[in-house]
Amino acid sequence: MSLAARARTNWSARSRQERLGLRLLLPVFGTVLVIATIPFILAVIRATTADDGRFIGIDNFTKALGNTQLYESVKQTGVYAALVLPTEILLGLALALLVHRTVKSVALRAVIYVAAMIPIVIPQIAIGVVFRLVYAPDYGILNALLGDTGHNQILWLSSPPLAMLSVASVDIWQWTPFVYLIMFAGLQTVPVESIEAAQLDGATSWTQFRHIELHYLRPLLLLVIFFRIADVLRVFDHVYVLTGGGPGTTTEFLSLYLYRVAFRFSDLGQASALAVVVMAAMTAFYTLISRFLPAEKG
Amino acid sequence: MLRMATRVATGLILLIAVAVFVFPLYYLVVTSLKTKAELFAAVPTLFPHAPTLAPYFSVLVTRAMSGLLMNSVIAGLSATALALVVAFAICYPITRLPVSRGLRTFVLNWALSLRFLTPIAVVIPYFTIVRAIGLYNQLPALIFVYALFNLPLAIWMLKGFLEEIPLEIEEAALVDGATRFHAFRTVLLPLSGTGLLAAGIIVFAFDWAEFLYAFILTATPKAMTFPVGVQGLVTQFEIIWNDMAAGGVIAIVLPVTLMLFARRYVMTGLTFGVIREK
Amino acid sequence: MGSWKRATVLLLGAVLSACSNTPGASGGGGSNVTLTIAAVQGVEDTGLKALAPMYTQKTGVKIDIVEAPYPDLYTKLVNTFKSNDSTYDLVMMDDPWMPKFGTDGSLSDLGKLGIQKDSDIADVVWDVGTWPPPRGPVPPSEKDKDKQLLGVTIVGNVEMFMYRKDLTDPPASYDDVLANAKAQNKSDLAGYLIRGKATNPVVADFLPILWSFGGDVFDDSWKVVFDNDKSLAAVKFLVDDLKAVAQADPASSDAADRDRLMAIGQGYQSSTWPGEINTAVLGEGTTVKGKVGFIPIPKGPSGKGVGMMGNWMLGVPVASKNQQAAADFIKWMLEKDTQKTYAQNGGIPSRTSILKDASLTDANPYFPVLADALTAPPNWRPRTDQWNAVETIMGNHLNAALAGQETAQEVVDKASAEIRTLMTGAGYPSQ
Repeated sequence: MSLAARARTNWSARSRQERLGLRLLLPVFGTVLVIATIPFILAVIRATTADDGRFIGIDNFTKALGNTQLYESVKQTGVYAALVLPTEILLGLALALLVHRTVKSVALRAVIYVAAMIPIVIPQIAIGVVFRLVYAPDYGILNALLGDTGHNQILWLSSPPLAMLSVASVDIWQWTPFVYLIMFAGLQTVPVESIEAAQLDGATSWTQFRHIELHYLRPLLLLVIFFRIADVLRVFDHVYVLTGGGPGTTTEFLSLYLYRVAFRFSDLGQASALAVVVMAAMTAFYTLISRFLPAEKG
Repeated sequence: MLRMATRVATGLILLIAVAVFVFPLYYLVVTSLKTKAELFAAVPTLFPHAPTLAPYFSVLVTRAMSGLLMNSVIAGLSATALALVVAFAICYPITRLPVSRGLRTFVLNWALSLRFLTPIAVVIPYFTIVRAIGLYNQLPALIFVYALFNLPLAIWMLKGFLEEIPLEIEEAALVDGATRFHAFRTVLLPLSGTGLLAAGIIVFAFDWAEFLYAFILTATPKAMTFPVGVQGLVTQFEIIWNDMAAGGVIAIVLPVTLMLFARRYVMTGLTFGVIREK
Repeated sequence: MGSWKRATVLLLGAVLSACSNTPGASGGGGSNVTLTIAAVQGVEDTGLKALAPMYTQKTGVKIDIVEAPYPDLYTKLVNTFKSNDSTYDLVMMDDPWMPKFGTDGSLSDLGKLGIQKDSDIADVVWDVGTWPPPRGPVPPSEKDKDKQLLGVTIVGNVEMFMYRKDLTDPPASYDDVLANAKAQNKSDLAGYLIRGKATNPVVADFLPILWSFGGDVFDDSWKVVFDNDKSLAAVKFLVDDLKAVAQADPASSDAADRDRLMAIGQGYQSSTWPGEINTAVLGEGTTVKGKVGFIPIPKGPSGKGVGMMGNWMLGVPVASKNQQAAADFIKWMLEKDTQKTYAQNGGIPSRTSILKDASLTDANPYFPVLADALTAPPNWRPRTDQWNAVETIMGNHLNAALAGQETAQEVVDKASAEIRTLMTGAGYPSQ
């Protein structure tokens, strides 16, 4: 019997239980909510005051929104997301399907599983170091392997289109295994009978996937997409180490731009205004896409 | 025949995938074993000519980064514990008590939206707060921040686990006359052990890797964490890639070992409770 | 419910008490003073690190050196000063940072703490540590302040020029530089090594060229002159002429990269900081020992070769709780004997007598050149609290040009426009 059904059957017990639930939930959740919202309020306060404390209204906001660099940065973040997200999701899903269908040996599956876990737990700093050692000219291993030396090397980190691709490749390298792991596990929950029945009916691999497996994978898939979108939009660490936002401002994504305004320009008023704008935008964005979030289990 | 071709093709694809994923790590380890002179070589080598452990010694002893490692461990464990406790306190009522659907959705949605928060956007307010309550350059500041940032993940993972545990089990204990807390302690808690461990490991891995806040909120090795130390090896004038690589390897070793030991729990954790240990 | 609360409180208590037991958290007790120095990670603090234990032995004062890489150190100091934190007793600052800290009132007057001017140290060293600056344009908000000594140089860096003396004679002008570069440029020998990484690196490499061409960023009344003819010529020289004979990837080359190329014989010439020489260019792994010559910055079309100073100074934050002890340490570092030991341990002294000491010249062939460069005097970067922002703007555009994204004209136009907006917004006279 579901919780809701149970609730309807017994009014007084419901009240008692529900009151208990609220007494447990509200204090804890309330505290967390407050702690998480205070910075937002502080940011608003800082954004509307000058360095010496005067109230200056929306001056910082005008400054922040009037800076063309902001839009350039948003655009680059968008390009990055468009490169990284589909690749990670599709590649992870494809690999999961591949292994699920063709690799039957349990031992081999376990080995792949363990190997896939490793990129997830590597600190971003280490990732930055690793990939600098791969992509850097002169002492990076990639150009050496390609036999490129001297003046005509491919400049993975300095040529604008390549820099974006290099930075994107790092993200893909690190998170495709994450997607793979989740999708693979999800595929395990698909009932074998449904598959066999479908195959008996002559279904092709594609139909099998679309009508059966996808159905079971949907909730997990959506959750993974959500988490990845959130993470991609706030990327910072490995880009900071690899290119520092360069060349020029090619890889200066939103987080790096915020970092620049706050800590290189030391313009805390504008930085706070930017922070408020970014937070508001993210909230709006989230509200928009949360309609697609899987409803919880009844 | 087609079968054979498919298998060969699959094998090839998987081999390439594994090679691509493993190679950067291999090169990291190789670099950590090179001497400084070798780093100057005109063409980088795939295998160190004179492998040495000097970089590791340099990182851990000469540069005294073992203290930073300790800080990372303490901060990571504490933050994980805190996040799990809070997440449990939130998930329990949501999954096992008849809280209204609206409230439940609101809480879960809010938790997920927190993940969309850009850390750099709130770093200045947090810096102000931490400064105001006197926690600048202290580990507790990092612990609270890390716990907060990983709360969404912890909540959603625990929720998945707790939903898998049938309500009937607790009901049975209650019917037998136990108090709710007793039922919780003796029945639910042991059953959710897997979930807690799974969520805990993943949260720890993310805490371990965090850089930005550790950098902004700490000033001396008293509270600095290991990633900050590794980043500190990037100098303008010197190439010390071998030390940096050693730092990178060390940074990887702990969470990976953890993962390997607890791989079954990680498997269950990463699927938000959908797959349970069979 | 109560048990819930109890459990949570217990857990939090455990967490907090664990934290208070972390090393160092219990704080230094007793009568011994510990000085915490925020230093830059790299070759610049080698001498400092070598000297610290000697000071401790002599006076019993313990010294804790906390290092951070160049850009991170700046951020760290800005944050610490803004929050009036007393963690650091001494801070290492690159001289262009000092105007900001001086404007914000974050540093103590060292003159009041007993540090007096010494004629054995070049005047420019005292000048660069004085705020407001005794020469050149003064930011409008600082015009009425009294001059105070806020920082003392402990790394007497002046940018110099290095070239392969086994291949050619020393270049006397930038025309020579270009001619030699073109002549020497081969597939495995870059004619000129550009340090082109974004913001500080590329600007540091470029300013001597800019000044030697007669250009500048600001004039004496803070008007932006980065887009005048002379400045444009200098930018063109870097991003067109020199780039054509440079190494493969100037846009991502920092000092370490150009030093490496120089050290393995794949570069012919470049600008250089003294700190790079012994550790990177002539250090472990080098194949060019004895083949590299060091000279002051070559003359440009302006008729002068203008060196740039990049002194690392020690200052005492006003928030420090050990003001006098910190100042005493600085005094000790400036003493003649200490300076000699400092030089022998990888430090770069600022005393003229030490720099010209013959016994040190073998190990440090560039010392005499440095002494002359300091007395020239070299130019310093514009003394404004907005310098970091200006440098970021210029650096990004120069870097973009080196990566092929912008032309020289675009660099000067865009950068000048952005700098003008920045300066007017910061209260400087309208442009």
